Amino acid sequence: MKRRRRLWGTTAAVVVIALLINVPWLNAILVSVKPTGDIARGGLFFAFSPTLDHYANALGMAGYPFPRYFLNSVLIALGSVALVLLIGIPGTYAAIRLGLGGRWVMNTASGLRLLPAIFFAVPYFLLIANIGLLDSVLGLIFANTFLNLPLGIILLSAALKDVPVEVEEAAWIDGAGIYRGLVAVVVPLIAPTLVAVSVLVFIFSWNDYLFALVLASYDAMPITLGAANFVTSTGIRWGDISAATVLSTLPPVLFAVFAQRFLVSGLSAGAVKG
Amino acid sequence: MAVRSQASRARWVLISPLLVFAAVFVAYPVFQGVQTSFFGLTLQNPSAPWVGLANYAHLFASQTFGGAARFTILFAVLVTTVEVVLGFGLAVLVNRQFPGKRVVFSCLLLPIMIAPALLGIMFRLLLNGDIGLVPALLGKVGLTVSLFAPGSVIPLIVGLDIVQWTSFTFLVIYSGLQSFPPDLLEAAQVDCAGAWRTLTAIILPIMSPVIFAAAFLRLIDALRTFDVIYVLTGGGPGTMTTTLSIYVYKTAFTSGDFGVASAASTVILLVLIPFVPFVVRRIARPEGRAK
Repeated sequence: MKRRRRLWGTTAAVVVIALLINVPWLNAILVSVKPTGDIARGGLFFAFSPTLDHYANALGMAGYPFPRYFLNSVLIALGSVALVLLIGIPGTYAAIRLGLGGRWVMNTASGLRLLPAIFFAVPYFLLIANIGLLDSVLGLIFANTFLNLPLGIILLSAALKDVPVEVEEAAWIDGAGIYRGLVAVVVPLIAPTLVAVSVLVFIFSWNDYLFALVLASYDAMPITLGAANFVTSTGIRWGDISAATVLSTLPPVLFAVFAQRFLVSGLSAGAVKG
Repeated sequence: MAVRSQASRARWVLISPLLVFAAVFVAYPVFQGVQTSFFGLTLQNPSAPWVGLANYAHLFASQTFGGAARFTILFAVLVTTVEVVLGFGLAVLVNRQFPGKRVVFSCLLLPIMIAPALLGIMFRLLLNGDIGLVPALLGKVGLTVSLFAPGSVIPLIVGLDIVQWTSFTFLVIYSGLQSFPPDLLEAAQVDCAGAWRTLTAIILPIMSPVIFAAAFLRLIDALRTFDVIYVLTGGGPGTMTTTLSIYVYKTAFTSGDFGVASAASTVILLVLIPFVPFVVRRIARPEGRAK
């Protein structure tokens, strides 16, 4: 009995901490359903009747370009996931399993974890401008692939090392070549890691702000940059900005809730970016 | 076997996209970043002359750069220390079975899932003098402080960083605790060692590599902090909260001085390079790492 009470005590303590660190997000949700008039009555006014007007505004009713920002963010995130997998899977396989400088590739990938993204701001601006991709979704896909490829390689190589060599050899004996063996045998075996890499790369590309700030100005603007600019440029419509912000946090938050087990290994390996 | 001979060619085919990408999007930008630091390149003048070390001379004479370096290092060391202590406490607290653990665990991870730039907006919402929750609460207890004034902005930013990133140190340390041999804990309990002694004599010594790793990873991220502070204060008031990342960004894209910005980036790079082996050991060779 006493033990049970202690367990509930732990729950209570952890719940309080969880609530505290999520106050910014909870507060944004609260403001996003507050009528504009009541927002002006201050942060401690709770006796309002909830409204979804701000969400309707954020989704296009008020003529803000938020739907376009969302679309850009989706395209950039999906494109980066695709490119990281397309480059990362064959490259890591060749490095780890076919003996092409596995150690060197791994060391470079983890060394890049240390280099500050800001170092690449100016060179990327010049490079992307030179190839004519400034303010394009493709330019931001390249930048986010660069930011996330090291993480992809690190997680993929850990998964590939766990695939028994016998499985591949059996496929080869059955007459499959290297390529078929990779696609039909190895890739299905590392599927959980592919999911983990996809989820993490999606979230980190979605959350990128610095490279969006450097490389996008209008057409390719993703939601992080669009929302931040919205705060500074218009006379602040806090209800609408809250709704847009809450909507833009949903993809990462849903992943955190429903794909938790895929995230934890990658995140605790130090994959988080500041 | 035919596969063996195929392999020697196939591996080059398979790795070629990675090599091309690395050459164009990693090696070339590194080269160009260092190269730009020797030129008087500006946003307006893309064909600028070689200026030798003038950009570096300008940098080391600049009070803003020195101030940004000092602020960044103090900020990073301070938040890392606090976040590691709090993250460790939280990890020990969560490291047992209790009702509702799965859901609460997800909630504890939320702050690191949310885009820092969006969190910056939420902080503005929370701290806004007219409509924010925090000033309203402070007003209730009779405090009227201007949170973004020079006297309070740095503690504010430190506090916000702790709210955001304690989740990260918690997660790294908690993952490490999972590989902590449970029989050791049981043995300690049989020996009637108190909770405090179990902590200081057993958990802390064994956990020190994981705690060190959490501190190190958090420190290198804190050193490059950009998004939240830039969205919140833009580095101000004045240059009080200008981190090195904000300094580089503003020098390049507000002042348009690519040469000096690249010189600053290169200096940061050179300072960080000695730490590369630490990161490589931590990430690339996970055998010694608690999983």
